[in-house]
Amino acid sequence: MSDSAKLSHTAALILQTIDNGCSYGFDIMDETGLPSGTVYPALRRMESEGLISSQWEPEKKALAEQRPVRKYYRVTREGSHVLEQSQKRYPLLARLTSKSRR
Amino acid sequence: MPSPARRPFAVVLSDCLVGVAGLLTPKEQRSDWKREWRAEIWHRWQFLWHAGMWNRREKFGLVRGTLGAFQDAVWLLKAQESLWQGIREWARSPFTCLGALGILLLVTAALSGGLPATRELLSARSDLLFIWMHPSGGGHDKGLPPDLMPAWESRSRQIAKLAAFQIARASGDQPLLVTVQPEFFDVIGVKPAIGTIPRQGAVVLDYRAWRSLTHANPAALGQQLRVGGNAYKVAAVLPKNFWILSRQPTVYVVRREITTGLVFAMARQKPGVTQQQLNKELVKIAQDVCYYSLDSQLRYAAWTSVLLTPLRLFGVALALAGLMAPLVFRFRLRAFRVAAARRTLFFLAKAALALSWVFAAFLELSRSESAILLASKDPGDGPFLVWLYVLGTMGVLFWAVADQRARCRVCLRLLAFPVRVGCPGCLLLDWSGTELFCSEGHGVLHVPHMAPSWDEEAERWISLDESWQGLFVSGK
Repeated sequence: MSDSAKLSHTAALILQTIDNGCSYGFDIMDETGLPSGTVYPALRRMESEGLISSQWEPEKKALAEQRPVRKYYRVTREGSHVLEQSQKRYPLLARLTSKSRR
Repeated sequence: MPSPARRPFAVVLSDCLVGVAGLLTPKEQRSDWKREWRAEIWHRWQFLWHAGMWNRREKFGLVRGTLGAFQDAVWLLKAQESLWQGIREWARSPFTCLGALGILLLVTAALSGGLPATRELLSARSDLLFIWMHPSGGGHDKGLPPDLMPAWESRSRQIAKLAAFQIARASGDQPLLVTVQPEFFDVIGVKPAIGTIPRQGAVVLDYRAWRSLTHANPAALGQQLRVGGNAYKVAAVLPKNFWILSRQPTVYVVRREITTGLVFAMARQKPGVTQQQLNKELVKIAQDVCYYSLDSQLRYAAWTSVLLTPLRLFGVALALAGLMAPLVFRFRLRAFRVAAARRTLFFLAKAALALSWVFAAFLELSRSESAILLASKDPGDGPFLVWLYVLGTMGVLFWAVADQRARCRVCLRLLAFPVRVGCPGCLLLDWSGTELFCSEGHGVLHVPHMAPSWDEEAERWISLDESWQGLFVSGK
C-alpha cells in the first residue's frame, strides 16, 4: 500500500464525499460538517497527491447564467483506488456520507 | 424569488476577508485562489437567498466559513518549497548572524530602559575626585580628620569646590545613611527634583530611598521620617537616575559642619591640574595649618576612573578568555587572501557584537545592586561582575570560533546537509566522520568523529570548483 493510500479519516471522508458527487468546496463542507479551514487544505493536499483533480467550469455557461465561474473537484483513477482501500480501512465511511445529491 | 440588487454586508465582508487572506498566498496562485473562494461565497449566498434561508444565522455561518480562507492560504504558503528554501538560506547567511546579535543588543537596550549604566560610562565627569587616606603604617583605608576640610577649602588654589561627607553603613533593609555638608550637592553638580537643599538638620532622599521609604509620596516633603533610630525632616528628593556613592537607596543627612569622626572629601579640581600638583598642595596645607603629616598617605579616585571599573574588569575577563582560547582551539596564521580577510572581518564583527552585548547586558544586570566606592557586600561590585564577564567572554569567544568553523570558507553561510561517513569502529583502516556541504556548492568540510592528537588539521575543508555548483541550490 502506498503512502497516499493511508488517508486520515477526515481526508477519506472528503474523498468519499467528492466521489458521491459533491464537487464544490462549500458543498463538501455542508455534507461532511467539516469547517472550511479543514476542507480546503485537504483538497489542496489531495490534489497535489493526484487523488483528485480540479477544473474550472466552462466560462460561457457561467456567463450565460450571470454568475461567477466555479471550480469543481473530481476523484481521479488513483483517488478511486485509494478510496477503495480507505473504505476497507474505515468500514463506516460510506454510511457517514449521504447519497449523492447530484 | 428575484436576486437582490446589492450584495449584503456579510458577502462584502467575506469577500474582504478573502482579499486579506489572499495576501498570504503565493503570487502566482493568488488570482485563481481568490476567484474560487469568491465564487463559492457568491453561490452560497444565492443558494440561501433563493431557498429563503438567508437569515442572521446563515450570514454569520458564511462569514465564519470564510475565515477558513486564512488556514487555506497559510497551507498554500507552507506548501511552497521555495519559501522554506529561502528561510533556510536566510538562517544560514552570515548577515543573519550579525543581524540577530544586533537585535539582541537592541532588545537588551529596550528592556533596560536605554542601557543607563553603559551610558554613564560615556558621560563621566573627569574633574570630580574622591579623597581619602591610607595610613603609611598599613591597615585599611580610612577617612580624614574633619578640621582639614575648611583648611583645604580656604587655602587650596588647585581645588574649585570641596565638601566633606561621612558614611554610616546600612544594616539589613535600612537605606545607606550619608552625612554631608550642604555644599556636597553643588560639588557633585546635582539639583533636587523636588524641594530645596537644606542648610542644616534635614534629609535629602535619593529617588530609590524616596520610593522605598515614602512610596514616592510627594506629600512626604516637609514631614518627619525615621531613619536609623532618628527622626529627620525631608527637605528634597534627588532626580530619578542620579546616584553617586552607591546605587542602594541613600538618605543624605545635611549638616553645616561635620566636626566629629573621620570624613571623606568630595572635590572638584580646577582644569589642567595634575594629581601630583594637587597632592603636593594638599599635603603642604595639611602640614602647615593642621600639623598633619600626610605625605604619600592621601588617595584619590577620579569619578571617571570609578565609573570605568566595569570596563577594566571586562578587559581582564577578555584577556583571560583570549589566553584560554589557544588551549582549546588551534589557530594557524595563513597568507593574506581576500576570502581569508573577509572571514576574519566577519569573525571580528561577530565577536565584537556579541562581546558588546555581554558587556552591556551584564553591567545592566548587576547595576541595581552595585556600589562602587564602598567596600560593600554587594555582589554587583567587583567579584560578581568579574565572574559574569569571565564566563560571558569565554562563552562568546568559544561560540564565535565554533560558529566560524561551521561556516563555508568562501561565502560564510552555515554548512548544511550533514552526512555520516564510515563507521566509528574502523578508525584504524578507514576514515570515519561527518561531511558537511556548503549549500552554494563552494566546498565540503570533513569532521572526523575522533581527531587523532598527531593530526595537525583534524578538520579538512575541500574546495569544489564551479563544475559542482549545478548540483546545489544556487545552481538550480
